[in-house]
Amino acid sequence: MTGIVDAVGVSKWYGEVLGLNAFTASFGRGITGLVGPNGAGKSTLFKLLIGQLHADQGGVRLLGENPWNNVALMRRLGYCPEHNQMYGWLTGQQFVETLLRLDGMSSADARKAATEALKVVGLSAAAQRLTRTYSRGMRQRTKLAQALAHKPEVLILDEPLSGADPMARVKILRTISEFAEAGGHVLMSTHVLYEIERITNNIVLIHNGKAIASGDIHAIRALIDTHPHAVRLDTPRPRQLAQALARMDHVVSFEFPSAEELLVRTRKPDAFYRELPGIVADTKLEVRGIESPDDSLDAVFRYLVG
Amino acid sequence: MMALVQTAGLTKVFGDVRAVDDLSVSIPEGAIGLVGPNGAGKTTFLRLLLSLLRPTAGTASVLGRDIGDGLAVRERIGYMPEHDCLIPDMTGVGLVSYMGRISGLDRDTAMSRAHDVLQFVGVEEERYRKVAEYSTGMKQKVKLAQAMVHDPQLYIFDEPTTGLDPRGRTEMLDLVGKIAKSPGRNLLLSSHLLPDVETICKYVIILDGGHQIAAGDLDRLLAGASDRLRIDIRGDREGFARRLKEAGFDADVSATAIYVSRRDGIEAAVFDTAKVLGAEVRYMGRVVRSLEELFLELLERKAGGDA
Amino acid sequence: MSITLPTYKRREMPLLPRAQRVRAIITTGLRREFRRPAAIVVTGMGAALVTISSIVTVLFSRFFLPPGAKLDLSYFAVPASNGAILFFVTLMAAIIGSGLIADDLHSMALTLYLSRPITHADYLLAKAAILAPLVSMITVLPLVLTPLVAALLGLFSWTIALQAIGLSILVGALLTVFCTSVALFLSSLTRRRSIAAAGVFAVNFGLSIPAGILAGTLGNPVFYASPWDNYVAVARAAFGATDNPIDWVWSLVILLAATILAAVVTYMRMKAVEVVSG
Repeated sequence: MTGIVDAVGVSKWYGEVLGLNAFTASFGRGITGLVGPNGAGKSTLFKLLIGQLHADQGGVRLLGENPWNNVALMRRLGYCPEHNQMYGWLTGQQFVETLLRLDGMSSADARKAATEALKVVGLSAAAQRLTRTYSRGMRQRTKLAQALAHKPEVLILDEPLSGADPMARVKILRTISEFAEAGGHVLMSTHVLYEIERITNNIVLIHNGKAIASGDIHAIRALIDTHPHAVRLDTPRPRQLAQALARMDHVVSFEFPSAEELLVRTRKPDAFYRELPGIVADTKLEVRGIESPDDSLDAVFRYLVG
Repeated sequence: MMALVQTAGLTKVFGDVRAVDDLSVSIPEGAIGLVGPNGAGKTTFLRLLLSLLRPTAGTASVLGRDIGDGLAVRERIGYMPEHDCLIPDMTGVGLVSYMGRISGLDRDTAMSRAHDVLQFVGVEEERYRKVAEYSTGMKQKVKLAQAMVHDPQLYIFDEPTTGLDPRGRTEMLDLVGKIAKSPGRNLLLSSHLLPDVETICKYVIILDGGHQIAAGDLDRLLAGASDRLRIDIRGDREGFARRLKEAGFDADVSATAIYVSRRDGIEAAVFDTAKVLGAEVRYMGRVVRSLEELFLELLERKAGGDA
Repeated sequence: MSITLPTYKRREMPLLPRAQRVRAIITTGLRREFRRPAAIVVTGMGAALVTISSIVTVLFSRFFLPPGAKLDLSYFAVPASNGAILFFVTLMAAIIGSGLIADDLHSMALTLYLSRPITHADYLLAKAAILAPLVSMITVLPLVLTPLVAALLGLFSWTIALQAIGLSILVGALLTVFCTSVALFLSSLTRRRSIAAAGVFAVNFGLSIPAGILAGTLGNPVFYASPWDNYVAVARAAFGATDNPIDWVWSLVILLAATILAAVVTYMRMKAVEVVSG
């Protein structure tokens, strides 16, 4: 099944500087988080997707089409660039309207669409203020509004939360979730991993211009067998519990971070979780909490990228 | 125990805007979080503390010194700004030692401290190269180093993880955390990333509209709102909840998890049910309020409209 | 042995006083300027050429002597009015002075400076103290060396030479503070040093040259608009030379007022810069 984005062997260099290097991945249904160190190639990928750059090798397809010189495709996507500069002398409403009219919309349609989009992101009250007076969070939301206003199928967002205050962050994440629930697709890059985890489990991990992992966070984590899964159990009798669990042969090690905690590392997390209830129920040892601290995007990132 | 920052009726007015309005707070020593929406007065508050602004009314003291004596206050503060501020044509160690000398260290001490703090933040041979060539992560580290070089009693961090990739964020938060745990050192962390504040700080101040709308130890502020457990299982969630109800516990099912009230024996019941149904219990933990939830609650209570 | 945050109790060792901190800014600033080839060349060449040309005017005084004048103290007004001074001082202010504050505004390093225990005044004084010594290599040094050489060569008596040296220092200092103050003011107006440099050229040449041209039609008072001509008027009056096109008292007032005004406005602008951004 083709994804929203299909990239096959895409390479792009800027002179000697690497953008992407034989990048191959297929992704994009629903909400996908693009994660990677600085300079990994995320911005290059975005620019290829919106048709601003042409690949040196290979090709990328968005919604099945080649984005280069493809105006019809551009109409179906909404893009939020990373930078925050706007035309400071315009109000928020005027800014979004102007961009829509550049898109070819009539004046009346543009006004309606802009008003609605600004309402969705929660800027109705501030829409008549000059963008020069906007805080970072408001600018981010304005950018999101202009990306949404023409009802695209795909949203491509480059660091949409950067610099935003907590309320704007919540609003933006909520808007993105609602867009995806209504059937849209979102590609979003960010450095704050726990925020991606809140709205999706799908990620693409980019490093040195290559896609080193793509898919569900937990599935990826399960594939990383060089790092046994850590599971933390809150129990008043950690050593007895450890004894009971030791009979599982996929368990690698036990640690006792505190008097009421047991940290188990296991090579086969699925088997562990399957067998655990039986052992706890049989031994009647009290287990008050279970958590897998490294079944997270942060851990996946750390193990794969370093 | 001396208060870190003590203010009484602190007010700063710009035209008709009351950026800081009759603020009377007593901030204890330790690791303090400063949060608030845009326009809450955080920036003005920091400028007042750094004595870069004079208050319209009221008084404030930092580490026991009145903010009117700006030099004494700034001698004891190390400030890590949010924006870019490094001198591009100086080397890392040159810049940090230069800043140390401007803070009043003599030349040799400044150089020695510069190397020490650059080591601490993780800038190795790059310290001999010009700052203009540094990556974002290294620039942030140098910013931290220049705030540390004169060993201040109070660190003020303004969005220390801006622009950093996940690895950089982890490193920076680790460094800030180490500083937070150092005895005799205090920090004020101003950030929009509330989970970061939760991780590092013990005490938090929430500002809005120039006022303090909440302040206190994080543990106390976030405690005990609910006494529920969240359980993530792999298996038949509905069936699981039903069996728990049959056993006499109340259970709610959401799209992703099961929520139960904490009562004696609930944990054992969960594992018994899991064993019987062959389900996997992947997560079980107290439902704790997050700082973000508290923050949004307080703000919604106050305003009730669009920002 | 443990790995810890490098702390050392520095409470026993008090911090150095303000004067030392300001000195650190000055010495580091000077060292950084002297690492730039352009700064070295302009200062070196400027000092050399101005000195040489001034000495030449003294050696060949009979060519430069205004008709009917005697070879006494008043002759030293000639090297003091050496156009090369204007040229090189403008070049210096443009190359070295334009970036002193503009660069800190561009990189926002101003935040780092002002978050430390110094005041805005300390900062400006330090910047001025970086530029002024370099400018005085052109405005003061040649004018001090010229009478010295003249006396050593026996062209003038030591009494006259020493008087000339004393007056040169005063007159040169006036031009120095004026140029320093204006250069810093222009540097504080913009984040781009090239714009500040252009401003320096505009103020120096852009006012002097048209004044010279327009004086023919509009009369001598036009010279009051030209900083260079004001300086020359004061210099000539100091050395006792007569036949000045404009009144030296007014010129002195204008120069001092401009210097002080530029300094005050620079200070106020610096205080208004928002170094903690929201």
